[in-house]
Formats: sequence, C-alpha cells, structure tokens
Amino acid sequence: MNAPVVSSRMNLPGTGNASSGNALELRGITKMFGALAAISDVTLSVKPGERRAVLGSNGAGKTTLFNCITGDFLPSAGLVRFFGEDVTVFPPHERIRRGLRRTYQISSLFTGLSVMDNVYLACCGVSRNRFSLVRPRPDDALVQAAEMLVEAVHLTADKDRLVGELAYGQQRQLEVALALSGAPRFVLFDEPAAGLSPTERADLVTILTSLPAHIGFIIIEHDMDVALRVADSVTMMHNGRIFKEGRSDEIESDPEVQELYLGGGHAHH
Amino acid sequence: MDNFIKRYPLWSLIFFLLAAAFLCLVLAPWPPELVAVWGRKQIFLNALLGGITLGALYFLVAAGFTLIFGLMRVVNLAHGSLFLIGGYVGYEVATASGSWLLAFPTVFIVVGLLGLLMQFFIFSKMEGEELRQTLVSIGLSIVFADLMLWWWGGQSYSILAPQFLQGPMELPLVSNINDATGVVTWLRYPAVRVWILVAAIVIGIAMWLVLNRTALGMLIRAGVDDREMLAASGVRIHLVFLAVFGFGAGLAGIAGIIGATFQSLSPGEDTRFLLASLVVVIVGGMGSIVGAALGALIIGVAEQMGFVYAPTYSIVLTFLIMAAVLAFRPQGLLGTRR
Amino acid sequence: MSVADQAPRFASPADQRMWSERIPAPWWILGLILLLLPIVANNFWLFQIMGWTFILGMIGLSLMFLAGYGGMVSLLQMSIAGLAGYMVAILGPSGAANVSLGLSWWIVLPAAFLIAALFATMCGALAVRTDGIYTIMITLAIAAAFFYFTRQNYSIFNGYSGFNLVLPPKLFGVNWRDPLPFYYLTLACAALCYGAVVYLARSPFGLALQGVRDNPRRMAALGFNVTAHRVAAYALASVFASTGGILLVWQNAQIAPGTIGISSAIDVLVVAVVGGMRRPLGPFIGAFIYVLLQVFSTDILGFFGFSADRFKLIIGIGFLAIVLFSPDGVLGLWDRWRARMAARKAVATGGGA
Repeated sequence: MNAPVVSSRMNLPGTGNASSGNALELRGITKMFGALAAISDVTLSVKPGERRAVLGSNGAGKTTLFNCITGDFLPSAGLVRFFGEDVTVFPPHERIRRGLRRTYQISSLFTGLSVMDNVYLACCGVSRNRFSLVRPRPDDALVQAAEMLVEAVHLTADKDRLVGELAYGQQRQLEVALALSGAPRFVLFDEPAAGLSPTERADLVTILTSLPAHIGFIIIEHDMDVALRVADSVTMMHNGRIFKEGRSDEIESDPEVQELYLGGGHAHH
Repeated sequence: MDNFIKRYPLWSLIFFLLAAAFLCLVLAPWPPELVAVWGRKQIFLNALLGGITLGALYFLVAAGFTLIFGLMRVVNLAHGSLFLIGGYVGYEVATASGSWLLAFPTVFIVVGLLGLLMQFFIFSKMEGEELRQTLVSIGLSIVFADLMLWWWGGQSYSILAPQFLQGPMELPLVSNINDATGVVTWLRYPAVRVWILVAAIVIGIAMWLVLNRTALGMLIRAGVDDREMLAASGVRIHLVFLAVFGFGAGLAGIAGIIGATFQSLSPGEDTRFLLASLVVVIVGGMGSIVGAALGALIIGVAEQMGFVYAPTYSIVLTFLIMAAVLAFRPQGLLGTRR
Repeated sequence: MSVADQAPRFASPADQRMWSERIPAPWWILGLILLLLPIVANNFWLFQIMGWTFILGMIGLSLMFLAGYGGMVSLLQMSIAGLAGYMVAILGPSGAANVSLGLSWWIVLPAAFLIAALFATMCGALAVRTDGIYTIMITLAIAAAFFYFTRQNYSIFNGYSGFNLVLPPKLFGVNWRDPLPFYYLTLACAALCYGAVVYLARSPFGLALQGVRDNPRRMAALGFNVTAHRVAAYALASVFASTGGILLVWQNAQIAPGTIGISSAIDVLVVAVVGGMRRPLGPFIGAFIYVLLQVFSTDILGFFGFSADRFKLIIGIGFLAIVLFSPDGVLGLWDRWRARMAARKAVATGGGA
C-alpha cells in the first residue's frame, strides 16, 4: 500500500485553515489523580501536518496526556486548543467531530461486530447519519468510504469476519482504520505497533508514512525504530513532565536520551 | 466546612438563613398571621416529627440496602421482602411470647440468617454479574411475596407496643401559648416513635463508628472503594461479604418490627419499603451510610409534609426530589462518582 | 452488561437476493400458521390468549430493544405503554365523560404516541445520567411514582377508578374489538413492531446503539454522543410500548392504575427475560408462556394440588429457574439444544465418513 488512500475521496475541512497557527496546542496541562500528578504542566504545540513522537518510560504520563487531549479525562488545570479553538471542556465526541482521532493502546474494538461494521460505525460517528434509521445500501457513500478504509489497512479479505475472530495484528490494523475514518485532521496513535511482528510493523510504517500530508499526528511508541521513521520531531516525557523536545535526528543522537531511554539494549530489526 | 464557606459564600449565607428560619419555625410560638397561612403550629410540628421518625424507619431499611450495594454491588430488590418477613416473624414472636423486645433479637437472627443463605447459595455464585444478581433478587421477591401471602394471608397485622412505650410523651417544644392566660402548651408525641427515633440514631452512630473506627469497618470501606485490591490483599473477603449481607438483612428485619408497630403490615408493604430504600439511596448516594441517613431524613420529611400540606401530590414531591438529585448530582448527595 | 451478544451484521453487499428469498422457511410456516389460526381457534384463544400475547410481547419488545441492543434494562416500559393507553382514554371518548375529551381518533392516536414518546424521552434522560445497574433502580422508582400519581390524581387520570368503556374507533365499519378483527389487528401491529426492530438493529442507529452497549467510551471516541444515543433509544422504544399500550386499553376496554402497577412493570421484565432478551422474538415467546400460565393457572396448579392463587409463585419460581440456569431465556435453551444437535450430527457424519 502506498497511495494516500484516505484523502482521495474525502474533502477535508482542516486543509483550509491549516496555515493559521497550530493544529494542537496544550498549555500547562496537569492531571491529578487524588494527590498524585499523572502529568504536570505539559505545554506542547504541534503544527498542522506535523508528525510527533512522544517517548518515555511506562508511567511517564503519555496515555494520560492522550486522554486529556481527547476529553476522556478533564485536565485538573491547563488549556487544550484544537486548530485554534479552545476545546478544554468539550466532551470527547465534540472533539472527534472537529477532526481529532485516536487509537487505543489496548485494542478497543467491537468484537461482536464484523470488520466492515466496525469501520462503518466509525464513518457514521462523524457523519450526519449517526441517527439514521434507514439501513445503508451497498452504494451508500459511507459504506464505500468504509470499504476503502478496510482496503487501506489490508483487511478486505476479512471484512465480513467478526472482529473477535481476527488475529491480534489484524485487530491493531483495524484500530488504525477506525482512527482514519471520516475526515481526520489530527490523530493520536497510542502504541500502534505494540505486539506486532516485524513484517506487520513495516506495514504499519508504510500506512503511517503514506497518510496525506495535511494529517498531523502524535504517536506514542516504544519501538524507536518505528517512532523515528514516521515522526519529524520528538517529545520526551519523564515522570509526567516534558523532559526534552527536538527533531528526530537530534533526539536520536542526544546522549542524555541515549542514557535514559535507549541504554537498555534496544532491539533492531 | 470552612472550605465550603470560602468557596460558596453566597450559598453558605442562604443555607444559614434557611436553617435559622427553620429553627425559628420549630422553636418559637407562631404568630397568628403565620397560623392563618399555614395552619396551627402543632400540625406542622407533628408532620415534621412524623417525617423524622418515618425517616428513621427508612434509614434502618435503606442502610442495609446501601451497604450491600456498596460492598458487593448487589442491588438486592428482595430487600423489601426481608423487611416484610421481619415484620411477620416479629409479630409471631411478640404474640407468642408476649414480649415486644424479644422479637428484635429473634428477628435479627432469623432474617439475618435468611440473608446469609441468599448470599451464600445464590449471590456469591454469580459475583460480578450485576444484572443477573438483580434479576435473581426480583425472582426471589416474587416468590417471597407469594409465600408470605400464602402463609399470613391478605389481612393487615400490627404489633402492639409494650406498656412502657404506649401513650404520648411531652417534648420540650412549644406547641402553643395561650394569649389570654399565657399558659404554654408543650407538644405531645407518641412515646414509641420518639424512642424508635432514638434507637435509629444510636444504631446509625454505632454503624458509623464500626465503619470508621474498627478494623472490620476499615476492611468494609476499603472493599467499597476498591474490591479488587481487597480481594488481592488476601483478606477472606467472602466472610466479610457474608457478614455484611447478614447484618443488612437483619437490620431490614428489625425495621419490619418497627414498621409493624408504627403502622401495620400487609402484602405490598415489601414493595413500598423497597421503593423507599431505592429513592433514599438514589438521593443520598449509593454505598454511603451517612448518605442513607440524609436521604432517609429528606424523603421521610418530604413525604409527611406533602401528606399534610398537599395530599394529592405527596408522591410527586418525593419523586421531584429524586429527579432533581439525578439531574444535578447523579451520584447522589453524598455519593462518590465511580 | 451480560445481555450483550453478537449483533447481527448489516446486509453485506454480496447478498443481492430478493427480500422474500432471504426469509428462512420456518418463518413462512410460522406466518402461515398465525394467519390461518382463526380457522381452528375459538374466540377465547384469538382474543384472550393470542391478543394478549401480542400486546405483552410488544411491550416486552420495547424492553428487549433497550436491554438487548442498548444494555439498558428499563422497568419503565409498562408505564410508557400505560401512559399511551391513558392518553387514548383521556383524549378520546370513554365512560368517564367528565374527564375524557372525546376527540376523534385521528387526533387521539398521534397525540398518544407523541406524549408517550415525550414522557419516555424525559425519563430516559434522567435514567441515563447514571448507567449500569442504576438504570433498573431509577426506572423502577419512576414507574412507581407514575403509578402512585395516577392513583392520586383525579383531574387528569381519574384516580383510583381510571377509565372504562374505552373502545377502538369503528374504522371501515369494523368493530375492532370483535375477536377476529382484534386478532388480526394485534397480529399486524406485532408483526410490524417485530419487523421494525429487526430492521433497525442493522441501521446506523441500531448498530451504534449496540456499539454504545459494548463500549461507550470508544463510541464517544468515534464521534458519537453516547447520552443522546441512549435517550433516543428510549424515545424509539416508546413507539413499540405505546402500540402495545393502546391495544391493551382497547382489549380490556378500560385502564386503571392497577394496569401500570409495579407488578405489571416487573411482569414485562419477566416476559422479556423468560423469552430471551437477545433477539426480538424472545419477548413474544415469553409473553406466550406467561399468558398460557396465567390463563390456565387454575388447571395447572390444580393438577399439582395447589389453589389457583399461587399463580405468582409459579411465575416467580419459573423466572428464578430461567435466570439461574439459562440467562438467555427460552431462546437460549433452544439455541444450545440446536448447537448440541448439530455437534452430534457432525460427529455422526464425521464418524461415518
């Protein structure tokens, strides 16, 4: 797969105002669980179309950061702007309808539904068809869009199977497909490569690098190989704080980062 | 408290004024203008006291319900049946032995045992399946209701309070001051109700103390907050579950005796008290003893006040309170969000 | 919630057969039997047993829609049905002429559906403020409040006595309360409701509802407003309940608070659980069993040497048995039996080859 499949059909509201400021802007985001700060004072901005990797050890607060961005948690303090709009207190679905998407670290799919149904649901979620009581016809635009997404993640052969029956790697691919439904402007990938085989990883890298240029994303990834190949810039997190930011190549060669993160024998393919 | 006053100064002021006005209403004799609008003070005081004592009864039923839910996540819709069984058994014991007081320990043991059996043989077998447990408890309540109807029939029973609790007693509350003579009439109120209120308060405080000051209470509260952790810590959680279920059931049974002394027992009372417990814990907050006390007080007083001042809409008043709580604070007044 | 199950997949584009070809043979047979039943059945069977089964089934169906697809076990469905029935009695003609308005049917019926839907939406909005097992408690409390309110309120609901002589309009010159027309009327309504639920299950709304049941957080991350979806499901389910409620008033020719009491609300749950909440057919099967037990309770109980008063005991024990041993209801039993038969057959043919 190499063509930018997602952009070919869908018109994207994000492309117009891409030049005005940042796609995502976080200011002083803090999230407390009781007395414990999961993340504290995270300030971060990502330009439209920029691809950012967030690295850090377990418990560094990366997934909590994602949850604050998508609105699964309300931050205890701080501000979230999405394409210039203050979305800090918006419920998740309102952010999704503005073009934000995410994947989950642990696959969060509808295992009782077929692959097509999963992707079709994702396409419905951001369309006006959400409440439609009419069954889709095969030539329905959303069904077509879903089929294209299924193809984009190489699941066409399995599109009528129940998701619960899919292999682990296929479920991870489906996660990605759900996050690319509708007209995404910005995607949060939470360890999409976790548990994938080397060939599946290579596949994933192709999918991510061939996304249309206007779609920016943040990727949480433990595999530096994957992270540095798909991202332009890197944010390092440690103990809930931002520890270092920079271009991918700078970070890769940074001795401190090497010490902290790559020291423990990094596996290569 | 200080925090609350600092954060919401206006609300604190309003609360304070309302509380002061309420105290005036209760303590001071009413001027004729007020009597003209609201009727005699005695009626108001009687409704208020009736509400508080009814709240005490509701608290006894709801406390077990909310504990069982908080710890085991079992919504025991057969809780009303335990109340009614307690009342009937109490009646039998009291008439057979002639001792009202003897009924209490007997019923506590009998109904508590029934609760233990339910937990041991049924609910513990389907732990974690909340819906199934609830459905089973509905099934049990249907069966219990029909068995009780079979055995005790459709007539109503009431238990006579013992001699020393019969008749009214004078409370240090001014009912009326005669303008001409200046003679103060004190409020007279059935002694049994006053003592039951005292007993409920004692039981409530005892429960609070056990929950907050003892090792067992610590375990139970830890279990309410985080069951997995408690189970993982090697505590024999099932014994704690059994104890709490038995205690909650026994409490409902005792409430049955009190209900039979206050009012009377008949088929259908089980549903009435189940619903009262539901509303009480929805308003007060699931799993919280203090919440159950607050909810019971609010619902009891609202019901009696509604009954006296707007008889057609007393049910609606209770319901509106529940709806308002759900709309603005779905976890209940003192509940925590899960 | 444990009623969760596999959702039907939406029609795959490969399935290009005519709709009539996609319906399996047993359904044709069942349809034919139901259509031709009046040839053999007497009026009692048509009006009392079958008519009541269809009505109870429709009310149960509205619960099945909410519980099976939406994961919301609502005890409100009888109240919603009852409200629609009450509206027919209040707005249309009835024996309580001082309360009833006596409007004509083409105003009354839409108004009844609309008011019941509004009520369902409001109660649904309250009930979905919390989720999981709370739903059952809150809906039970609301149902009870509505019951007591109808009993106390005389200006609208005519209090304890309710309304009598509520008759269906004589459309097309037919007396719809005669057993034969009433049978076909309820059959048609039940078939329509059943078909609607089957169809809706695979519509975007129905599919999303099942998604909300299984993983609400993920649905929000796909852009769905989970709360709105749940409330809308209450509104939609009210249509089936209202249909049943209106027919119920016509069948009994009266409605009173007893119709919507707490035990009736529980009965609807019993019917849906006993039949099986996973499929729309379940409530109808449950209703059929319930009605048979109710109608023939004297004979059945007499056979075991009990008095006819013990009907509730039978229902309670039967319900307990189903919940304890087959949580998917009678349909679940049937599915398991079929699976075992298929497995045995496979073993037999495998051994023969």
